[in-house]
Amino acid sequence: MATSLGANRYNRQNWEESDFPILCQTCLGDNPYIRMTKEKFGKECKICDRPFTVFRWCPGARMRFKKTEVCQTCAKLKNICQTCLLDLEYGLPIQTRDFALGLQNQDIPRSDVNKEYYTQNMEREIANTDGTVAVGSVGKAQAPSDILVRMARTTPYYKRNRPHICSFWVKGECKRGEECPYRHEKPTDPDDPLSDQNIKDRYYGINDPVADKLLRRANESIDQEAVKPPEDRTISTLYIGGLGEAIDEDDLRNHFYQFGEIRSINVVGKQNCAFVQFTKRSEAEHAAQKSAGRLLLKGKRLVVRWGKSQQSGRKDGGDKGESSKGQQFDPVPGLPGALPMPSAVGSGPGHYYGNQQQKNYLEPPPPGTVPMPGQDGGVMGVAPPTIAPPVMMMPPGYPGPAPNMPVHYPSQNPHRMGS
Amino acid sequence: MPRVRRSRKPPPDGWELIEPTLDELDQKMREAETESHDGMRKVESLWPIFKIHHQKSRYIFDLFYRRKAISRELYDYCLKENIADKNLIAKWKKQGYENLCCLRCIQARDTNFGTNCICRVPKDKLEAGKVVECVHCGCRGCSG
Repeated sequence: MATSLGANRYNRQNWEESDFPILCQTCLGDNPYIRMTKEKFGKECKICDRPFTVFRWCPGARMRFKKTEVCQTCAKLKNICQTCLLDLEYGLPIQTRDFALGLQNQDIPRSDVNKEYYTQNMEREIANTDGTVAVGSVGKAQAPSDILVRMARTTPYYKRNRPHICSFWVKGECKRGEECPYRHEKPTDPDDPLSDQNIKDRYYGINDPVADKLLRRANESIDQEAVKPPEDRTISTLYIGGLGEAIDEDDLRNHFYQFGEIRSINVVGKQNCAFVQFTKRSEAEHAAQKSAGRLLLKGKRLVVRWGKSQQSGRKDGGDKGESSKGQQFDPVPGLPGALPMPSAVGSGPGHYYGNQQQKNYLEPPPPGTVPMPGQDGGVMGVAPPTIAPPVMMMPPGYPGPAPNMPVHYPSQNPHRMGS
Repeated sequence: MPRVRRSRKPPPDGWELIEPTLDELDQKMREAETESHDGMRKVESLWPIFKIHHQKSRYIFDLFYRRKAISRELYDYCLKENIADKNLIAKWKKQGYENLCCLRCIQARDTNFGTNCICRVPKDKLEAGKVVECVHCGCRGCSG
């Protein structure tokens, strides 16, 4: 269908010539120094069938070579990467992105002549803009919705650039062995809808199995994350998971102070999680409602759940505890007596809340308790079994220590074995 | 490759010593040429040709320079009759090219980025555990 380059009359299209591809971070790969080859009019655009400039590069070691698949006009129309056809901003399939932005399915013509005319008009429109805003309806709909933020990919996903699976190996007849540049791995189930994708459907945003999956998952997670406040009214602690190293207490404080007064923030570095305790239950409820599933700090998506009191954790682990009751630990004789309570728990911002925090214990810690500020929520077995301060929270699903476990000595704690 | 001997001049002394080996290599080359390409990749089909060509040149080169078993006359005769590839041998005399597999692998103009073939990269410069097999001649590394 592509007419010759010289034919440039009215209603005939210009062939695209470009100096640089429009690509996403993932497709470019992790190496900042890439060599690309450029081939003018190397292939037909897979959407509009016009010849365009094909770029080809290797996105890092042990990755397959990638090339641009659609022309820049088609890419700009949808604000997508020329290679993977995912949105440049959110890294989402077009169908998902359009759904989340509330865009109507634009009627891009599919027949030859109409398509030609449409592209031509669109090119004119693109030429009139400065190139900083997306053209068409994508550029106009600039209201990132919750669901979009929740689904968006925050870090590049380089696994997508891996070589394809060796089809010979699948049939059991790959003779290249070690030298084979393709992956020798079991393929996914061919009945899986995800294995049936095609580039045109993905571009037009219809029948995209990946988009369907993403939307389904997003909806499920909304249901799940409509976290019900726990029955226990004394709980005003939220569990924040998936912290990583970049996020510290201040970042959490900066986010959560908007919901109310924060009593304390415990960051458990080892388990990549933190516990944010509010002074009032209602504030915690508010914070949970506003942050669950959509908390994004420093580009990391965090998990927000309700904390569990140690008591409820014990109830959960009760059955297990009964069975393991037999192997109780003997109290270690000759341990030093009670230490005096530290005047302030922890350091930094927590310092100011130190005194208040102690007053807020529902029951004052009895003599014999040795508070270990650094291990709140982490290793709880260090507390004597007679009392568990309710401020100590644990992540949901954390198998609490078995009841009646008179562990007096950290090395006796089975949870710390080998660590 | 010396198919027809045009020169009337009889081969120099010592020819009868190397002739059987050369004949054998010729025979191998003929077999490689007639072998079917079924099940081979496109690039793979030429690999045996390059390999035998290399072997034959290497044989003459070793006899003259390493083992000093043949005379200058016979060596020149082999080069003149194209029994050995004189361009390839010329490379072998250069430092760093002692094991060069074929001339195509150092033809930088034929590549996208003006580089040599992957088989010319020293083993320790490659990432550990990477197995290479160049597309030109199937060489698995001819440097260092």
